[in-house]
Amino acid sequence: MALSRHSSPYSDESQKSGLRVWRDPSAAGGLNMAADEALARRSEETNSVLMRLYGWQPHTVSLGCFQKIADFSKADVLAHWPVVRRPSGGGAIIHGTDITYGLAVPSSHNWSTRTEDLYSAVHSALVQELKNRDLKARMVEVAKKEQEQNFYCFNRRAFGDLVVEHPLASSASGDCKILGSAQRRLSGVVLQHGTLLLNRNPQIQGEGSHPGLGDLIKSEAGSVNDVIEGWLQRLADQLGGEFIQETGLSYIKDNKDIMTRTNRYETAAWLNRR
Amino acid sequence: MEKSRRYAKSHEWARLEDDGSVTIGISAYAVEALTDLVFMQLPDVGSTVTAGESFGEIESVKAVSDLYAPISGKVISVNTELPSQLETLNNDPYGSGWIVCIEPVEVEQLDALFDQEAYDKLIGG
Repeated sequence: MALSRHSSPYSDESQKSGLRVWRDPSAAGGLNMAADEALARRSEETNSVLMRLYGWQPHTVSLGCFQKIADFSKADVLAHWPVVRRPSGGGAIIHGTDITYGLAVPSSHNWSTRTEDLYSAVHSALVQELKNRDLKARMVEVAKKEQEQNFYCFNRRAFGDLVVEHPLASSASGDCKILGSAQRRLSGVVLQHGTLLLNRNPQIQGEGSHPGLGDLIKSEAGSVNDVIEGWLQRLADQLGGEFIQETGLSYIKDNKDIMTRTNRYETAAWLNRR
Repeated sequence: MEKSRRYAKSHEWARLEDDGSVTIGISAYAVEALTDLVFMQLPDVGSTVTAGESFGEIESVKAVSDLYAPISGKVISVNTELPSQLETLNNDPYGSGWIVCIEPVEVEQLDALFDQEAYDKLIGG
């Protein structure tokens, strides 16, 4: 599905330097994907770097753009979970005890040129923030081919994934992956999705269960929210601009455009495309 | 019209063949920027493509990208071996890494694309 273009209510916004960030309320999968898509178009139209952070309600499984729906169906532990297919790539993510971001970068920005550049900018900002809080965080430098196609995103280890060395690690890699991202590259904008695990999801056992930041960080090193604020500030610094915390929603609720996009993500045709 | 490659801003190339058809692929620069390719979805023979609109998708380990048609036309052949041999795109993007061949609606649309020199300038080559 190519992301569609609609007339935009934001076309009168002039380019704003820096990083504009919205903290949107938790929503269902279709609306979250639609809001990210709308953010991408707004970024393209306003030539601005835009970001939204959000949660998921109800808890939902998101599949990578080309993951096979049959692989989801085979995962018995996920039976009866709501599921949505993302426009971006990567593996399945169990949402509910995480925070997800959508970051849209217009093609005029040098972060959009190479896949790895944007990925590294976002992840390295968090690595620095975590190191500053005494966590042994790093980005994966050499991908493990045998893990790249695991069904679950957080069992994969690809270049740039953010991992933390910690005694709680139970993976074959001996580390905990807490942030993974993937992109949808369009002609005028790049939309990067990423998920930061905050806590282990109590509803999931087995290979889909992973510790999150809140399970790893010592209380004296700060709260999860402190980490997120520090991460965004570092990202804005890398951009060479201001960290602009926007108020309200990043999208217009009940707007026809958003509803159309949401409906499309909720169709069986999109979910079962592969 | 000169039989040479033309390029879209979105990094697809198009080449006019002797029989009037136009072969389409993606540039070596785009392949390199996408990094490790893992999946590709192509259009069906007989479908139509429209200049500037998506006609397929390609997934790398970290990104999904749309393939945009550099000109409009009807798909007359598809490189069906490509999705199972994605390394061909790295090894020979302008030869055996071709993606689709179309019957153009208006071959003059090629004139609106970048020539080699302009494309090299675009990508900083």
